[in-house]
Amino acid sequence: MARYMFLYRESPEQLQHQPSPEEMQQVMQLWTNWMQQGAQAGWLIDGGDALKPESRSVDASLEVSDTATIEAKEVVGGYSLIEAASLEEAIEIAKGSPMPHSGGSVEVRLVGH
Amino acid sequence: MSDRKSETDSDLEFDSQPAELVENFFRHESARMVATLTRTFGVHRMQLIEDCIQTALVEAMRSWRHGVPKNPAGWVHRVAKNRVLDALRRDATHQKALAFAHLDQQSTDRMVDESFEESQIEDSLLRMIFVCCHPLLDPGSQVAITLKTLCGFSIDEIASGLLLPSETVKKRVQRARKKLAEADISTDLPRDDELHSRVSAVHNVLYLMFNEGYSASGGESVVRDDICEEATRLCYLLCHSPFARPDSKALLALHVFHAARLGGRMDDSGSSVLLEDQDRSLWDQRLIAIAKHWLQLSRTNTPSRFHFEAAIAQEHCVAESFDATDWTVIVRCYDRLIDLYDSPVYRLNRAIAIAHNGQPQQALEQLLSLKSGGQLESYQLLDCVLGRINEMCGNIDVAIQHYESFLASSIAPHQRRLVEARLASFDRR
Repeated sequence: MARYMFLYRESPEQLQHQPSPEEMQQVMQLWTNWMQQGAQAGWLIDGGDALKPESRSVDASLEVSDTATIEAKEVVGGYSLIEAASLEEAIEIAKGSPMPHSGGSVEVRLVGH
Repeated sequence: MSDRKSETDSDLEFDSQPAELVENFFRHESARMVATLTRTFGVHRMQLIEDCIQTALVEAMRSWRHGVPKNPAGWVHRVAKNRVLDALRRDATHQKALAFAHLDQQSTDRMVDESFEESQIEDSLLRMIFVCCHPLLDPGSQVAITLKTLCGFSIDEIASGLLLPSETVKKRVQRARKKLAEADISTDLPRDDELHSRVSAVHNVLYLMFNEGYSASGGESVVRDDICEEATRLCYLLCHSPFARPDSKALLALHVFHAARLGGRMDDSGSSVLLEDQDRSLWDQRLIAIAKHWLQLSRTNTPSRFHFEAAIAQEHCVAESFDATDWTVIVRCYDRLIDLYDSPVYRLNRAIAIAHNGQPQQALEQLLSLKSGGQLESYQLLDCVLGRINEMCGNIDVAIQHYESFLASSIAPHQRRLVEARLASFDRR
């Protein structure tokens, strides 16, 4: 078994969208169901956490820049850690996550080597 | 600023197993927070407050994908409070007011925390009901802003629930907010001298809200049943307050009797089922019992129209079958209603009851005189009713004409299906 990190990327449209409370409830329900499914099936190692949009970058000359304000583009909004036998299996799990169904995407990365 | 931020983070006690959020959590918390924060910071800041709450809820949604905290309400209250306080820190008028009252940011902070205590929230909601149903606003705006502020519906959801264009609803809500802010309406509970009219105004809004939701419910939008549910919830809140009057309780009974019958109004294909064809085993007996209880509690020497409407609804709910309905009682209730509050719709419904009470010819005469008086021009179902009564009188050809002209008007799909089925049954005869 290998570990994969899921990086949840939110599109600018998704970040712009102002959902109604009812929509938020539905989105939450989808995530809760999916995470529960992962916990039961055993592929979910760590639900992870959200990443706030505020961010800073330190470059090679130790210069600090405010990366959040550079431009409105995709933002990594959170991560989870999962376990799967292969990249293909991890991809199948990612397809089942609510992220691609709400306009965002999931980046699947093998952890370690 | 950073100290309060860290306080928020320390509250992030996530369960290892994600918790489930209660139904309508976001909608109801939105309403509770608007009520609480508006009470603290004033009606003139309602727009700012609602924007901050929206931001806080979106933040919650993003964080909670990975697990719901142990105390989701406390979490989102804190974030919303911080958003509002941050916004007000940049507001010079607010800072001046604070200095004038010898208050600092910390004491404001504490004040908000206290207002978020459970016992205070109900009180804030009640105050907000009186604000949203303020007589300064016209009924359309009262309903729109109540649905937006106290029920947490979005503009689009309200529009689909009330069958209105979104733009109309948006304008009504904006106009209502502006009016309330400009008049500097306070969140104080009504004074004794205005109490009667203010409570009556609330009744009217809840009555209207329920009827709008009920008459449109069962169509394509699920919001409509939610609107009925919300009207009932707010009425319940009023009935548990010191402001409850006998007619508040009768109104609650009326809502609950109607809600009990929601289950039988549609068949599997989504078309309306006439009262006489409904499967009464689908009616919710538990709700009927609750409604009866409230009607008991509402007893008074001076019954209101809600009392008689509830009594009629009760009569339908307790009848074993359509044929077992005591139409004499129902006709008598309509007589009393018309004495109290004459309206063409009550007269039309009385005519229907008279027809079922064995006098269809008399009913037809009353209907025709109502129609020729021009009082029912805007009543969409008139042709449908005329069709039915003519059928009962044995005038099948006239009945068919009425049904056909009903179908020619713009009507909801579930009503169309019902009448089409009715017409088809004549062909088979």
